[in-house]
Amino acid sequence: MKTEPNSPVHHVYDGIEEQDNYLPNWWLTILFGSIVFAAGYWFVYHSAKLLPLPGQVYEAEAAAWAEAQRNAPVATDSVLLALVDDTEVRAEGKQVFSTVCATCHGQKGEGLVGPNLTDGYWLHGNKPTELYRGVSSGYVDKGMPSWGPALGEKKVRAVVAYLMTIRGQNVAGKAPQGEQLP
Amino acid sequence: MRTQRIEYDDSTTRAFIAASIVFGVVGMAVGLLIACQLVWWQLNFEVPYLSFSRLRPLHTNAVIFAFVGNMMFAGVYYSTQRLVKARMASDLLSKIHFWGWQAIIVAAAISLPLGYTTSKEYAELEWPIDLAIAAVWVIFAINFFWTLAKRNEKNLYVAIWFYIATIVTVAVLHIVNSMALPLSFTKSYSAYSGVQDALVQWWYGHNAVAFFLTTPILGIMYYFLPKAAGRPVYSYRLSIVHFWALVFMYIWAGPHHLLYTALPDWAQSVGMVFSLMLWAPSWGGMLNGLLTLRGAWNKVREDPVLKFFVAGVTFYGMATFEGPLLSIKSVSALAHYTDWIIGHVHGGALGWNGLMAAGMFYWLVPRLYGTKLHSTKAADAHFWLATLGIVTYMVAMWASGINQGLMLLATNPDGTLQYPSFVETLLAIRPMYIARALGGGMYLVGFGLMVWNLRKTAASGKAVNGEAEVIIEAKAAGTFTAWDVLKGRPLWFSLVALAVLLAIAFASAAVAVVLMIALFVLGEAAYLLSRADKRGGKPSWFAIIEQRPFAFTVLTLIAVLVGGLAELLPTLLVKQAVPHAGVAQTPYTPLELQGRDIYVREGCYTCHSQMVRPLTAETRRYGAVSRAEEFIYDFPFQWGSKRTGPDLHRVGGRYPNAWHYTHLVDPRATSPGSNMPSFAWLKESKLPKDSARPKLMVMQKLGVPYSNGDIDTAEQVQRAQAEAVVTDLAGQSISLAPDSEMVALISYLQRLGRAQGVPFDGSKTKVAGPVPAGEAQP
Repeated sequence: MKTEPNSPVHHVYDGIEEQDNYLPNWWLTILFGSIVFAAGYWFVYHSAKLLPLPGQVYEAEAAAWAEAQRNAPVATDSVLLALVDDTEVRAEGKQVFSTVCATCHGQKGEGLVGPNLTDGYWLHGNKPTELYRGVSSGYVDKGMPSWGPALGEKKVRAVVAYLMTIRGQNVAGKAPQGEQLP
Repeated sequence: MRTQRIEYDDSTTRAFIAASIVFGVVGMAVGLLIACQLVWWQLNFEVPYLSFSRLRPLHTNAVIFAFVGNMMFAGVYYSTQRLVKARMASDLLSKIHFWGWQAIIVAAAISLPLGYTTSKEYAELEWPIDLAIAAVWVIFAINFFWTLAKRNEKNLYVAIWFYIATIVTVAVLHIVNSMALPLSFTKSYSAYSGVQDALVQWWYGHNAVAFFLTTPILGIMYYFLPKAAGRPVYSYRLSIVHFWALVFMYIWAGPHHLLYTALPDWAQSVGMVFSLMLWAPSWGGMLNGLLTLRGAWNKVREDPVLKFFVAGVTFYGMATFEGPLLSIKSVSALAHYTDWIIGHVHGGALGWNGLMAAGMFYWLVPRLYGTKLHSTKAADAHFWLATLGIVTYMVAMWASGINQGLMLLATNPDGTLQYPSFVETLLAIRPMYIARALGGGMYLVGFGLMVWNLRKTAASGKAVNGEAEVIIEAKAAGTFTAWDVLKGRPLWFSLVALAVLLAIAFASAAVAVVLMIALFVLGEAAYLLSRADKRGGKPSWFAIIEQRPFAFTVLTLIAVLVGGLAELLPTLLVKQAVPHAGVAQTPYTPLELQGRDIYVREGCYTCHSQMVRPLTAETRRYGAVSRAEEFIYDFPFQWGSKRTGPDLHRVGGRYPNAWHYTHLVDPRATSPGSNMPSFAWLKESKLPKDSARPKLMVMQKLGVPYSNGDIDTAEQVQRAQAEAVVTDLAGQSISLAPDSEMVALISYLQRLGRAQGVPFDGSKTKVAGPVPAGEAQP
C-alpha cells in the first residue's frame, strides 16, 4: 500500500484538515476488478450470449420435467390398490394429507371447505384412479387445486393410498355431498 | 480583507435533533410491535389500524423520513453553516422547512394506519402529502443553495458535495416515482403500471436508500468524524473518486430488487453489474472514515462519540459488501423475498444510520447547550446494547432468511417439493423471529438510555448558538470561469466513455471486444494526461468545480440522470400490451378493481408477492411463471418484496370462495400455524355506494381499455358479480351482503393470474379465459 504518512494538508475547513493520501492498492483492485467483471459478464451473457439467462435455464428444466412426466408409468386401479398394503407409503400419504389436504378436508378427512372424504358420498367417483385424477389434476373450477405439479407422482399416489384407508370411517363432519358409492 | 462576526443558527439544529429523537422512539417502537406480531398474531388485536400490514409502512416511513430525515437535517444545518462560514440564508425558510417536515410526518402517522396508501414501498403516502413533501424539499433546497451563494469559503468541502447530491437526487426520485392520477383527496393510482411501475418504484426505492440514507450521512461523517477525532481526513483524492463513482453508479442499481422477475433481462443484468461495481465506491467512504482515525484509536476507547462512529462506519462497510453480494442473480434467487433482506436493511438502518445518529447527537448536544455530556457510562451502555442488539437482529435474520430460502427451493430427486406446505417453512423460522424481536428490543432500550442522557445533558446547560469570526473575501479577480468547467478533460472523458458504454450495450460480440479495448486505451490515456497535467502544475478540474456550486450541482444532476434515463426510458417507451398467444389482456371487472383497492389498502403486498419467478421449485409451488404483459392493467404493480406468506399471483381459482372467506376471517382455520392477521372486519365494512364508476373513469384515463359503456354499467356489473359470489357462499352457509368488502376482495383474489386463462403449471385442465369468481361452485 502506497501511503504518504505525512501527506501535506491539502485544505482546512472549519478546523478540519484534509490530507491527500494515495488510494490503497487493494481498494483499486476491487474497483477495477469489479468493472472488468461487469464488462465480462455483459459480454458473456448479452454480447456473445455464451451462457443461458435465468429464463432460458428454467425453460430447459421445465422441458426435462415434462418429458419425465410423460414417461412415468401409468397409474391403474390395481397399481394403486397394491400401495394400500405398504405401511411406508400409507405413512407418507398420511403425512402429506395432514400438511396439504387437511387445510380444506380437515385433519381426519371430515371436511371443512372441501367435502368429507370419510362419509361414503363422492362427487367424482371413488375408484383409485378417480381419486388419483382428483388429487393429481384437481377440479380447478370447483376449487380443488391440481396437486400433481407440487407433490409429484410418488406423493400423489401415497395420498391416494391413504385416502383409501380412511374412506368409510364416517367421521362426523361436513354433510354428505354427491352420491353414495360402495 | 475585512472580517465579520457571525452567529450561526443552531436553534434549527436543536429542533431537528429533538424531532429525530422523538420520532426515532416512535418508529422503533412500532418496529418492535410488528416484529412481535410476526411471532404472536394475536398482537394484531383484530383492529384494522393495528394490523401488521398497515403498521409496517408506518414503521419504515417513520424510521427513514422522520428519524433519519430529521437527523440528517440537523447535521446538514449545523455543518453547512460552519463549512461555508455563513449563517443559513433565511431563518424563515429554516422554520418552514422544520415545521413543514414535522407536519408531513404527523400526516403520515395518521393516514397510514387509516389505510390511505399508494402501496409503493417507502413512497406509500398519498398525493396531497407527496405534494407537501416536494414543496418542503424545494424550500430546503432554496435555503441550502442560497447559503452556498452567500458563503465566505471559496471551496466546497466533500461533505457539501454529498449534501448537494442528496438534495437534487431526492427531488428527482420523489417527483418521478410519485406521479399519480387522483381519484379523490385520499386515493390515487400510480401513473405507471406493471413492469414500468416496478422499475420506477425500485429505481426510487433503491436510491432512497442511496440518497436519503447514505449520501447525506456520508457528508455528516466527513464533518463530525474528523471533528470528534481531531485528526485530518485521510484522502482528498479518495473523496473525489468515491463521490463521483457513487453518485454515478448508485442510480443504475435499482433493478437488483427485480432479479428473476418479469423485468427484461438486460435491465436485470445492468442492475446486477452496477451493484457489484458499487462495492469499491461504497468502501471508499468507509476507508476515508476509518483511516481518518489513524493515530486516534486510543481515543475510541474513551470517547463514546467515536465508538458510535467507528461501529457505524463498520456496519456501513458490512452492508455495502452484503448489498453487492445479494445482487448476484443466483444469490438473489435464494435471498429475495426472505428475511435475509430484512437483516441487510437493518444492518444499514440500525448499524449505519442509527449509530451515526447517536454519535452525532452525543457530540452535538453538549455543544449546543454549552455543557458536558451527562453520563459517559450511560452512553457506553447504550453503545453495547445497540451493538449487541443489531448483531442479534442480523444473525437471526440471516439464519431465518437462508433457512427459509433453502426450504422453499428444496426439491426431491424426482423434482418435487421437499416442503410443499408454505407454513412448514414459517414454523421453522419462528424461533428466529423471537430472537429478532429481542435484538430489536435491546436496541430500543439503548436508544431510551440516550434519550434520558441527552435530556439530562440539555437540562444541565443553556441553549447557545455558535459564533465565528469570518473573513469576507473580496471576489478575487481571475478565478475560474464557466468555460474552464466546460473544457475540463474529465468531463469530456466521461462523456466519451459513456457513449462507448452505450455502444457496447448494443454491439455484437466482436464489436464489443473492440470497444472494450478502446475504452481501456481511453482510460489509460486519460490517466497519463492527468498525471502530466499534475506534474506541470495545472489546477485540477475538480478543484475548479469545487469553487462553483452551480456547475457542481448541474454536473451531479447529469451524473445521476444518466443511469435513470438509460434504464427508465427504454422501459417506458416500449409498448407493453403484447398479446400472449394472440389473446389480449382483459381489464379487471369493476368488483375486482374494488377488491384490488382493498388489497392495497390493507397492505397485503407487505407479506405477499405477486411474481412467480422462473425457478423450478417456484413454479411447482405457485404455478406458471409470471409474464410482463400480465400486469399491464396493474396501476400500481403489486409484486411485493417480501414473502412472509406465499406468492399470490396464481392463487386465482385455486381455492373455492368459501376457502378464501374462512382464511381471511381466521387464517389458522385453513392454514394451522399461519401468522397472518385476521381480516374479519371486511365482512361488515361496505363498499362505498356508486364508487365503481369513478374508478373505471380514472382507469380509462390511465389507458385501460374500458368503453364508455363499461363505465355506464359499472355499478350493475359489479352488483351482478357480487351476487354470484354471495350465492355461492350461501351454499356453504356463509352469508355476506353483496356490497361487503370481503366479497370484492375474494373476487380480486380469484381473478389473480388468470388474465388470459393461464393454466396451473403442468396441469392438463386449461382454464379458458377469465372465469368470473361466481361461477366457482363447490
